[in-house]
Order: sequence, then C-alpha cells, then structure tokens
Amino acid sequence: MATTTKNMNKYWRVGEPMVWLSGASLAITLLTAVILLAVIMMNGLGVFWPAELHRLELKDGSQVAGRLMKTEPTVDGNGLRRQYKIANRDMYGLDFRWIDENQIVRQAKPKQLLVLERIEHGDFYGELQSLVINGARHRGSLADLDEALTAVNKETDGLKELEDKLNDASYQMEQLRLKELKYRYKGLADSDSEMITLNQDKVSLDKEFRQLIDLQTRQTARAREDKAVFTDVSGTEKEIVLADIFQVYTPNNMSAGEKMVFYAAKLVELLVGEPRESNTEGGLFPAIFGTVMLIFVMSLFSFPLGVIAAIYLREYAKEGVVVRIVRIAVNNLAGIPSIVYGIFGLGFFIYGIGHSIDSFFFPERMPTPTFGTGGLLWASLTLALLTVPVVIVSTEEALGAIPREMREGSYALGSTKFQTLVRILLPMASPGIMTGLILAMARAAGEVAPLMITGVVKLAPALPIDGNFPFFHLDRKFMHLGFHIYDIGFQSPNVEAAKPMVFVTTLLLVLIVLIMSSVAIYLRNKMKKRYTFGTF
Amino acid sequence: MNPAFFKKVKRNDRIAKWIITVGGMAIIFSVVFILILIAKVSLPLFLAPDKDLRAEFQLEHKTAEDKILALGVDEYLETGYRLDQTGTFRFFNVHYGSPLDTLEVSSETGSRRLVTARTYGRLNHMLVWDDGSVTIEHVKFYPFFDEKNDNVRSIRHRIERLASFAAPDYGLPVETMARVSDDGRQVRIDLFRSGEFQVTIAEEEESLFGAGDRIEEMHQLELGAVGDVTAMTMSTDGLKLYAGTSTGEILRWDLSDIEAPLLKETTRAFTDQREITALNMVFGDISLIVGDEQGGVSTWFPVRDADFGWKLTRIHELQGHTQAVQDVSPSPHDKSVISFAADGIKISHMTSERFLVGFDHGAERIVDFAQSTRGNGVITLSDHGTVQSWKLDIPHPEISLKTLFGKVWYESYPEPTWAWQSSAGTDDYEPKLSLTPLIFGTLKGTFYAMLFALPLAIFGAIYTSQFARPKFKAIIKPAVEVMAAIPTVIIGFLAALWLAPLIERSLGSMFLSLILIPAALMLSILLWQGARKVTPLKQVERGYEFLVITPVIVMAVAIAAVLGPGLENWLFGGDLKQWLFNETGTRYDPRNCIIIAFAMGFAVIPIIFTIAEDSLSNVPQSIKAASLALGASRWQTVWRVILPSASPGIFAGTMIGFGRAVGETMIVLMATGNTAIMDLSIFNGMRPLSANIAVEIPEAPVDGSLYRTLFLTAVILFVMTFIVNTVAEIVRQRLRAKYGRF
Repeated sequence: MATTTKNMNKYWRVGEPMVWLSGASLAITLLTAVILLAVIMMNGLGVFWPAELHRLELKDGSQVAGRLMKTEPTVDGNGLRRQYKIANRDMYGLDFRWIDENQIVRQAKPKQLLVLERIEHGDFYGELQSLVINGARHRGSLADLDEALTAVNKETDGLKELEDKLNDASYQMEQLRLKELKYRYKGLADSDSEMITLNQDKVSLDKEFRQLIDLQTRQTARAREDKAVFTDVSGTEKEIVLADIFQVYTPNNMSAGEKMVFYAAKLVELLVGEPRESNTEGGLFPAIFGTVMLIFVMSLFSFPLGVIAAIYLREYAKEGVVVRIVRIAVNNLAGIPSIVYGIFGLGFFIYGIGHSIDSFFFPERMPTPTFGTGGLLWASLTLALLTVPVVIVSTEEALGAIPREMREGSYALGSTKFQTLVRILLPMASPGIMTGLILAMARAAGEVAPLMITGVVKLAPALPIDGNFPFFHLDRKFMHLGFHIYDIGFQSPNVEAAKPMVFVTTLLLVLIVLIMSSVAIYLRNKMKKRYTFGTF
Repeated sequence: MNPAFFKKVKRNDRIAKWIITVGGMAIIFSVVFILILIAKVSLPLFLAPDKDLRAEFQLEHKTAEDKILALGVDEYLETGYRLDQTGTFRFFNVHYGSPLDTLEVSSETGSRRLVTARTYGRLNHMLVWDDGSVTIEHVKFYPFFDEKNDNVRSIRHRIERLASFAAPDYGLPVETMARVSDDGRQVRIDLFRSGEFQVTIAEEEESLFGAGDRIEEMHQLELGAVGDVTAMTMSTDGLKLYAGTSTGEILRWDLSDIEAPLLKETTRAFTDQREITALNMVFGDISLIVGDEQGGVSTWFPVRDADFGWKLTRIHELQGHTQAVQDVSPSPHDKSVISFAADGIKISHMTSERFLVGFDHGAERIVDFAQSTRGNGVITLSDHGTVQSWKLDIPHPEISLKTLFGKVWYESYPEPTWAWQSSAGTDDYEPKLSLTPLIFGTLKGTFYAMLFALPLAIFGAIYTSQFARPKFKAIIKPAVEVMAAIPTVIIGFLAALWLAPLIERSLGSMFLSLILIPAALMLSILLWQGARKVTPLKQVERGYEFLVITPVIVMAVAIAAVLGPGLENWLFGGDLKQWLFNETGTRYDPRNCIIIAFAMGFAVIPIIFTIAEDSLSNVPQSIKAASLALGASRWQTVWRVILPSASPGIFAGTMIGFGRAVGETMIVLMATGNTAIMDLSIFNGMRPLSANIAVEIPEAPVDGSLYRTLFLTAVILFVMTFIVNTVAEIVRQRLRAKYGRF
C-alpha cells in the first residue's frame, strides 16, 4: 500500500498527469474541428439526395405526405417525434410539420408520389391527376407529363432568349439615356447633330423594345396555357401551370443508380444555375462568379504590392529601426479588424475616390452615383489592402529561406542586384510567393464583414462581366458565397426552409477554402524542406 | 562586352531599387493613412461649433412706437420678417436689410392692435389682440418656379391662420397662451390680474357618426398656496401645461380630459425660492426648459418616484447667464435650447449639456431673436434696431465625451444610464450614442472566448511541440493552420443555427459535461497508473496520449448527453432555464456568451496555437537535452525550462489572438442577439463595436453624427488592436533576435 502511495506521489510530482491533460487539450481542439466539418458534411451532402417520401395515416384520420427530416424525443420526454417536410407551401402555409410517433397509424411509400420542383412556392408533393393541354383536359401518365414539360421547356427557352434580348435592349436604352444626360449637361440643344442622331436612335430602339415586349407578352401567355392537375395526399386538387414546374421526379420509384444520376445533375445545377425563391433554392452561379471575380481583381492589386513590399524589406532595406517599424506596420495591417478595413473602404474608396470620379467623369448623372457607391472594384481594393500582409509575410519568409550562398554566387558572377532578384531569387521563392497568394485568396473567399459595406448584395441584377461594352463592369454590385450564407441564413423570411441551401453553400465555401489553404500549406512545407539543408 | 548593355542593366537596377523602395515605404504609410483617414472622418464630432456673422444692418422704417413683437427667418437665411404692434409682418432681405413686402393680419373681430406675440414650433406665432382675442398665424415659405423665366426658383411666403380664439367673457387677461393641435383641438390659458387662472378647451366631440359637434369647456385652475404665476408654457399639442411661480414652484397639469383638467403636481423646483422667469418645452415636448431669475437654465421632466408617483426632476443643468433669464426656447430641429438674458443669447444642447454658441451685440442690448427652422441660423435684433444674421455650423451638438462614454440621463429614462440606440422613426428622437456598452460588449465577448481558447490552444501547442510523435506533429500543425482558414461567416452560421439551438435544448447536458470531462480525465489518469506498468501499453507514453484520451472525452460527452435531461428533471424541475430565471433572475438568451465563447474561441485557437507552437519548437534542443540529462521529468522540463524560454512567443500569440477576437465581426453579428446591454452574465448576448459597425453603417447618413460616431468606433477598434499587435510584434522581434528566425 505504502509503495502504491509513494509511486502515486511521484507520478503526480513528475507531472505525468499534466502531459495527459495537455494531450486532452489537443484532443478537444481537434475534436471541435472534426465536429464542425462533420456537421457541415452531414447537413450539406444530403440536401440533393432524392430521399423517399412517406405517406402517413394519423390517428385523427388525416393523411400526410412528406420527407423525414429528423427524429428527436418529444418535449415531455415520452416517445419520439419526427419532423417532416410536407412542402406545398401555397396550400398548407408551412413547409415543415412535427408529428408524434404515437400519432402515426400507418406508413407507406407509394411509388406514384411525385415531387414537383416549382419556380415559386417551393416543392409540391402529390400525385398527377390529369393534363390540360391546349385547353383540353385528359388523363395523363407521368410519361405524358414529361413529354408536355419538354414541349413547354422549349417554349420557355425561347422566352429566355427573348428576355436576354430585352435586357440588352434596356441596357442600350439606359446608355442612351445617360448619353442624353451628358449632352444636356454639355448644353447641347435639340437642334445639334448629336442630339438628332441620339433621338433617332432612341426612337428606333424604343420601337424595337416595344415589339420585343409584345412578343414576350404573347409568348408568355401561350407558354402558360398548358397546365396539369395534381392532388395532394388528402385528395385536394391543385392546378399548376406547366411553365412553373422546374423539375418532376418520383423518389420512391428511383433505383440507386438513378438517384446518383439525379444527385449529380443537381450538383451541376448548383454550380451553373441561377438562384430561385429569394436565393433559397436553385443554383449559386452568380455568387460563385462574383466570388471568383472578387478574388481575381483583388489579386491583381495585392499580389504585386505585397511582393514588392516583401522584396524591399528582405533585399533592399537596411536592417534597422525603419525596417523594424515597417515590420510592425505590416503585422498591424494583418491584425486590423476586417470591419475597420470595410469602413475605410467606405470612407476612402467609395465616398472619397468614387465620389471624385463621379464628379469628374459623370457629373451629368449626379446625384445618382456611378462609382460613388459600393461595387466590385471598391470591394476588391478593400480586400487587397486586407490581404497584402499575407502576401508580404509569405514572400519574405520564402526569400529569407534562400541560402545566402545563392546571392553571393550570383553577385560573384557579376550580376546586379536586380538581375539576381529576377533570375535567381524570385524563381526560387516562387512556391512561397504562390503560398502567400493562395492564402490571400482563401482569406478573400471567406471574408464577409468588409464586403457588406463595400458593395456585396443579396441578388445582383447583372453579372460584372457581360456582352455589353466595356464588358468588365467593375462598378456593379456583386454576389458572394460568404455573404450568401449570411443572407439566406439570417435574412430570409423562411429560415427553416432555407437551411438546406445554407448548408450546401457552406459546404462549397469550406471546400474551396480548405482546398486552397491545404495546397498553400503543402507548397510551403515542401519549400521549407527543400532549403533546410542550407540554413544550418 | 557591350557598354550599352551594362548601362541598361545598371539603369534597370536603379529603377527597380527606386520602385521597390517606394513600394515598401508605401506600406508603412498605408497603415498610418488608414488611421488618419478614419480619424479624420470622426474628428468633426469634437470640433467646436462655429458661428459666422453674415450680415448686419439697421432696420428701415422703424419708428419708436411700433415695437417689434416677433422675428422670423426662413431656413436658408434669405428672407426675414418682423411683426409689429399693428399686426403687420414686414419681410426683409436678410443679406442687405432691404424691405421686401408686408402682409397684414387682423383679429377675427377686426382689431388691429396687438398686445403681445409669442413664437413657438416652426414659425408659428401666437398673437394676442387688444380685445382679448387670440390668433395663431403660421408663416409659410415655399419654393416657386417661374415658368415664364426659365424655371428660376425663388422662395415665396404667405401667412396661414391656424386657429383663432374668441376673447374671454371675464375681461382682459394679463397673460395668455394658446395652442392648436393637428386635429383641431384648441386650448387657451388666461391669467387674470385677480389671480384667476382659466383654461378653455374646444374640441370635436367624438361620436360614432364621424365628426361630431364642437364643444367648448371652461375651467378655473386651482393653484393652491404658491407664489404668483410668472411663466407658463404648453406642449405644442396643448395637452400639457406648466406654470412657474415667483417663489420657485413648478405646477404641472394634464389637459387631455376636456371635462377635468388635472393638476398633476406642484414641485418646489428651487429651495432658495428664486423666481422662475421663463418656461418652454424642448423639441419633442417631453422635457421642460426652466430659466430662473439668477440666470440658471435647466431642463426637467417627470421621473417615476416610488413614493410620489411621477415627479418633475432636474435632469440637465445648462450654461447659465449672469442676469435673470428673459426667455428660453427650443430649437425646432433638435434637442438644443436657446436662452436669452440681458447678457445675450446662448445656445446649448440638452443631452450633451454642451454650450454651443453665444451672441451679444456688444454695447447694444439684444431685445429679440429668431432661429431658422433647420437650426442653422439665428437673427438677432438689438434695442438700437440693429439686425445681425448669424450662420451657425453646429454639426454634432449631441456629441460630447460625456455622451459617448459617460452615463447620461435620457428623456423618459428613470435614471442616468449608458445606452446605444442610434435612431428611431421620428425627428424629435433623442439619439443615444454611448460607446460604453459597445466597448463592454467587445471586452465581454473577447473575455469569454479567450477563457475557452487560451488553455486549449496553449496546452495543445505544448503537447504538439514537446510530447507528440513527430509524424503526428507533421499532420497536426498543418491541420490547425487549415482550421485557421475556415471563414468566420461559417463558424458564425453554425454557432447560430446549429450550436445555439443544440445548447438551448441540452443546457443541462452541457453543464454536466463541464463536470464530467475533467472527472473522466482524472479517473483515466488514475487508472493509467496501473495500466502503464504493462509493457506494450507503456508505448502510449511516447506521444500517443492524445489518441488514447480522445475516446474518454467522447464517452464523457456522450454520458453527459444521456444523463443531462434526467439530471435537469431531478435537480431543476425539468427546465434549467426556468430555474435560472426564478432563482437568480437571469434570463436565458438563446444566442449568448456560451455560444460566443465556443465559436469565437474556435476561431482564435488556431492563431494562438500556431504562434505558441512555433515559439515552443524553436527553443533550442540543447536546453531540453540538458534539463532531461539533469534528471528532470519531461513535464518538469517543459514547465520549468522550455515554457519560460518560449513565454514571449506565447504571450505574442495570446495578444494576436486577443486582437483577432476584439475585431471579429461575423461570428458576433450572427451568434449574439446584438442587444447593447451591460450585463456580465454568460447567458446574455452583447453588442460589440465591430458588429455594431456592420449593423448600423448601411443606414447611417453620410457625415451625420451616427456616421462619424461609427468611424470613431472604428478608430477605437484600430487603436485597441494596434496596441495589442504592436506589443506582440515587439516581443516577437526580441525573441527572434534571441533565438534566430522562426
């Protein structure tokens, strides 16, 4: 007994338990990270899987069709309750319903249950009754419905082309309006030749526009004639215009292979599709595009600036007080809260520079701002400032890791400092510089706070690049994946229905950021190994 | 070789050197520039107000007998007018004093002689005629576009009669006051020489069938045993009546009931019985301005008192005069107060108690004044008939260091408090821009986050750098760095929409796991003592400990999750949140500091971890070897030898983590309720500086007080992180010099 106590005392004294406790700290840290990723994966990956629909018969005799979301203990603790997505928002008012398990009498998975993805009002769960094609109502099978949908899709495709034309026309009209404003500002009278051509253009464009509108009205009316009648699980009929149906499928009647194909098609839609239903459904294309553009424009500024600053610090500046201050400044730049950058961007870029640009180049448009409001350019510049330190630190590290012998060898062969830099040092440091750039890009992809006040919007009417001159519209507002998460998770009217989309967006953003930073860190570690022989 | 080539190479070298140096220096300047720019935007908050004498002239056509009863000026300080005893409004150009036109009014009974006139609201004049009748006239300035003359814009004016009151039957009053509300309710107060105090109210009778008959009621108001009434005022809608007496009492009536005007209270305002010489209501009709014979100017409003009910209380003391106050009036635009005495005019702001500007005419005495409706100008009239027009530049009267950081007694609040409530729908709102609750919120969130993050990050770093097997270290270090790259918007979203409901549902389990995890760790350490003697298991102590301990933690959490609801039932009657509220009065807010601690802690851990791990790994191996050779255990070596050497690095990491937590925006924006409260409780949310900027800046009008205040909060954030980061960086540089680069 005495020896056990003695052993134990010694065990405590040498601090072995503390080692275990520090191990536990590490374990908890890693566990939280794993849990975070697991939650995102679990919630995000399943969103597009065509899960089976249940038809339930409840004790009170009513019928419910829905997709099982989750099961948890009831509030009073006896038994379980299930959450079903019952869809049909326009009929029931709610998308979700909690049902106590002991209320359920019977449960089935009828094969003919359909899921309609609609342009508006979310999904519809029910069965097909009949089709109304060209005004005639007749019973139809699923195949007939598919056929009718294909026909309608062709028409709506035509409509989309028309809409593109209309958009172009209205853009041109807007340009003409601005031109007229400019002429008037310059003091041109109606009799001047410029004004006359402008007015002629205007008249012809106006005519074209009106024709397009007419065509669109007629075609839309035509496309909306065909309908189909569905019944929900309790037999209530619902007539739905075919043009409003985005997609139809029967989840209970799909094989695993079909489900896989469906899932893949959904993923593609996510990446290239437009958002629907105030961003809670459909694709993410504008947000992805906006994020990419933002990162691209930001890199154009932050990459050269950061690299030059790092070269100055490492190769040109004399070690001393100045360099110390610069280092402190750089680290401070990295530590300034992003929201402060945002407010700086607002005060300096938007209200400062943007406003000056407006009053210099577009005085005729005042008080409507062109550059004096948030936009892609200002957001990119703000982020560039925010990410410059990341590039500086990595580049400096990379340059510092190059052994001195390399430089001396180069000088000994008679090259100048600049030649050494361009021919020897930069190529050797390129993995490190790349690391910095990728880290900066990852930071920009995930940063939201400064964007919120420098030009990100929940739904941008047009992409920053299009077919209209000058093709790049850096003054336009844009969408961003990170802001998309904030917006649909917190500002959407129906948070519960928006959740799947938030998780999918989150998953996408996490994947982008994690892959980018993993690549960056891999590159950096590889580079470290390459030069370690030289440092000691 | 070709000399031209050398020349070119050298020139390139020089150009490159020049460009690179400029680029490098630009970085330093950009930091300074950012600070200067945001400080520059917020600086006007503290600038002294400015007054500018625009014009000075003698009034023309002024004879001694037509005494000027009222003055007025439009909001552009272009057209002014004066009202004389004959009921004539004489308009004049404010720049040159040249007369424009005259408009005459007369009473309903046809009288052309005025006894007195008083101005209230935005260019409303209450005219008392010599037959005892009263009219309320409103001078309206409106823009006019001349179509014949290329749409030239000019400001025209006219006079609108808002109401008229018949003379009282009782005789001629000495003092009269009348108001008309927007829905036509008319109130007239008369004070007679005999001391009778009479109120006449006329309003549309409410009936089921639309507009009813007009009824009029007259009441004598009982004053009680107080001095003579020397001043009185009414709210613009005529519902509240205040009277001040020669012995320093203030009486307050509620006139909302036409049948029975109610004397709410009689308060002895000044113990020294000084006379109250002027009363008026601050814009918004909540606070009362009181001017007294000793020159004091103060504002009052009723505050609920446990014993007396609502009691008029002195709230703000403004800068006074050396002589008795003759008149006080509110700004028609904000909560500023203008007081007028023999020594001149003074403008102060009620909330900030700031003295803004003062005027006097030097040797001449000011006899009357008028302010423009936007509060940006004042014209004064001296006893010699000199008119001065002053342009005022008071952009942010409500801001002072006291309103930004100190406790302020806001209108309708029971006591002085720190509050942030930047805006409301109405114009007469008193903005509450105290930064104290925001700074408090920032520090509170940071404190709880650091409480969670610091031990985990530092001990995790110690383990990774000193005990873990190198092959694990090669995975863990990059994994944690990748963790640092997870966007905070994602952490915030998960915290708010996944973690917050989870913790709210299983609060009992969470607290139980806080007990169970350490207990389980202790138990397993004790058990390990026995197990470590077995040879193959001993291998675990070569850097596998964290793998072995992981299931223990998972088990502890699982047990807590299972036992939690039962325990909550048994100890707290099934609902811990309700129990908390009943027992301690703390309300459980679903988005609270526990969530913030986890979420922000998670964001900060990788930063502290990485820097701490770097500095621990960089302690020379020789030191470690020496310590071990002298017989110290591995923990003793770490704790007594390595940790002290690496402490500056760990300190730097902590500082940088702190700076990050202070400035973090998205997590707090999403995972707290964003309510600006000052409560240390971990079950409440908060509103930190950073989230406040994100929430408010889109709605803040450019260059307004709110806009500049938000820039000021950005400066505070900047300075906070600047200090922290600079300290950390200096410490790191020292360390670097000591141990070589890392």
